[in-house]
Amino acid sequence: MKKSRYIALILASLMLFALITACGDKADPASDGPIQLVFSLWGDPAEQETTQAALDVYNNMQDKVYVTALQIGRDDYVERLQVMAANNEMPDCGMVAEDTAIGWARDGLLSTYDVYAGASEKPLDYVIFKNEGEPVAYSSANEVLAIWYNPDIFDAAGVAYPPAVSANAWTWDEFVAVAKSLTFDANGNNPDDADFDANNIVQYGGSVNTYTWQLEAFALSNGGRFFSQDGKSIVFDDAAIEAIQMIADLHLVHKVAPFNDGTVDDGFFLSVGRGDTAMGTDGQWVTGFRGFFEDVNYQVAVLPYMKQKANIATAGPAAMFATTQYPEETAAFLRWYNDPENNMGPIIEGWWMPNLLSWYDDAKLPAWIDASPVRVPLGDAYKTAIVDVAMDLNITKSTAWYYTPNTYEVYTGVLQPALVEVFQGSKTAKEVIEAIRPAMEAALAG
Amino acid sequence: MLKLTRKQKHSENAIKEERAAYLFLIPAFLGLSLITYIPLLTTFIMGFFNLNVGHLVQNSPLGSPEFVGLNNFVDIFENPSIDFLNSITVTVTYALMAVFASIVYSFFIAVLLNRKIPARGFFRAVFYVPYVLPAAASMVTWYFLFNYDGGIINYLLVQMGFDKSYFMSSSDTVMQSLTMIAVWSCGNLIVIFLAGLQNVPKVYHEAADIDGANFIKRFIHITIPCMTPIIFYNMLMSLVINIQVVIPALAITKGGPGKSTMFMSYLMYQIGFRGRELGKAGAIAFIFFIVAAILAFILFATSKAWIFYEGKDERR
Repeated sequence: MKKSRYIALILASLMLFALITACGDKADPASDGPIQLVFSLWGDPAEQETTQAALDVYNNMQDKVYVTALQIGRDDYVERLQVMAANNEMPDCGMVAEDTAIGWARDGLLSTYDVYAGASEKPLDYVIFKNEGEPVAYSSANEVLAIWYNPDIFDAAGVAYPPAVSANAWTWDEFVAVAKSLTFDANGNNPDDADFDANNIVQYGGSVNTYTWQLEAFALSNGGRFFSQDGKSIVFDDAAIEAIQMIADLHLVHKVAPFNDGTVDDGFFLSVGRGDTAMGTDGQWVTGFRGFFEDVNYQVAVLPYMKQKANIATAGPAAMFATTQYPEETAAFLRWYNDPENNMGPIIEGWWMPNLLSWYDDAKLPAWIDASPVRVPLGDAYKTAIVDVAMDLNITKSTAWYYTPNTYEVYTGVLQPALVEVFQGSKTAKEVIEAIRPAMEAALAG
Repeated sequence: MLKLTRKQKHSENAIKEERAAYLFLIPAFLGLSLITYIPLLTTFIMGFFNLNVGHLVQNSPLGSPEFVGLNNFVDIFENPSIDFLNSITVTVTYALMAVFASIVYSFFIAVLLNRKIPARGFFRAVFYVPYVLPAAASMVTWYFLFNYDGGIINYLLVQMGFDKSYFMSSSDTVMQSLTMIAVWSCGNLIVIFLAGLQNVPKVYHEAADIDGANFIKRFIHITIPCMTPIIFYNMLMSLVINIQVVIPALAITKGGPGKSTMFMSYLMYQIGFRGRELGKAGAIAFIFFIVAAILAFILFATSKAWIFYEGKDERR
């Protein structure tokens, strides 16, 4: 009996010891070593490997700062960091979701320290996140939208490829007409034939990625807006609503697009990537998909336009978090990391375009276009359909989340689930937008 | 004297046993308090504060959290971007549909699997496997099966001469589609029903058989009454699981189409974990708890009228 009491006592002591040590503070890092910074990131294993390679270079080139990567899955990245923020344990810096950046800045999760203060060259102005006009985060890259098409399907039908030069861009009607001519049912009829069987379509002509934020490019193209220019109010005017309806009608009325309810950002996978769709819209990053779609031949062209040529630029920022103890060192690292010279991996692999204007000089283009094996197959079309469009400020504007708070709450919380009913055809865009306007306004106000 | 000593000894033993019992209860009490009750209480308290993640960050421009009384509770109902009443409605509707359909289906399958059929073990495994598959993976698989273009179910519909359906992308069919998935994955209920069926005394069936009762009559008057405690247990478990539904919205529907799958758990996740509004998420959690408690209470209260406990003279 006594023996068992002793055993119980020892076990209880061990438990208490384990509890106390588990709750204790973490040991302080060595004070005489390099400053330890933590950089958080998401991405698939290949992207994470590329980022780690960049960090290794930074760590080896100097001995004052050592940056460790904190890799978090994309699906719970924001949640994890917010939990860390609630415990004042955020990393020093890291990637930030575009739709959350302004909100994080307003709520004090991002540092107010301007990473590029006094720098000789800042990222392109349209990829700088600004809260009330003040820069709060800088994108590490640049992306614009384009048409991606399967030339084999065009060749088989004897139809001319989509134009790769903005001056020759298709009007919306031309886009729809070509899409119809490339859409066939199992009996070889296309949507203009009386016998066309919409339940048995074997090849689709063309689609637009219905993922919510990408719709803004077409709203702008139709002369409309989603948000006011200062990001403080909901607009969604008639032109924006009409643009959404025209996109929905590709599937509902014209029968040229496969169904995409817009809840996942898989525009390419749900169009050209399927192998049975002639063309679809999506971002520059599709360049990096080439290795994943070896069986699908694809090329790039400029977006069709409704009333005016329009495109939107976006890319995830790497920002300094409010809890860092080393703002100067963190800023120096972020400037280094955001400099394409030092982070060529994602650029060469096709995921990113450079974020600095100087990299769009003709002299510099070969360093990231000709040197990129995934861009070479796109030929001159890559330069005209992507680079020239990105550099034309009459066409390309910031995506709304660069200046609008709470775009996650508006887009994902309200607009995205509501628009499913538009793309599926049970309600019109007008009905849906007017019904959810108060909810969008409340979500924007926070 | 001897009597007194025994009593004393008995009393001492009782005290020792009592102490030991309390001692052994301490870890469970600590665990429950630290992991369940204190976080639960903290969540409820958060509901009374204007509390954003930013309030907890050092030197935040938001300052300190502010006590706002019932404001969050009012706001989650009045704010059109939250519309909590809709969330309660769709969650309770889904939970009731899923519980009812799961119980009927799993009981039916259990009755079939309880009969002497060829490859019974194989079939039992087939019906149980969906329960152990990762829920998110199952949901995505079903999403592809239900897909409008290329989904096998729509393909079969077209082959049979019907029009395609949008299933999870239509507010008319999304709830039924999700209920079907919930039913498909209720293998645990089947196993529990099977165990219960094997414990229904055979003598009752034999007696009824001698009296000329056919299978249907025996099923209604013997099997079902004997199984009512198991039915109650499965209903409770199914209710607890389905009222917390979140994965379909998180993995597939994102709360849509419209607001038709904006379940309470998903809304709480959206507001708290993505929107950083911990106070409002706390208020949602508080009311969520009450709604779940009310449903469980109704189940318990009505159970007295229909549960039959063997060995008792009356239903209780």
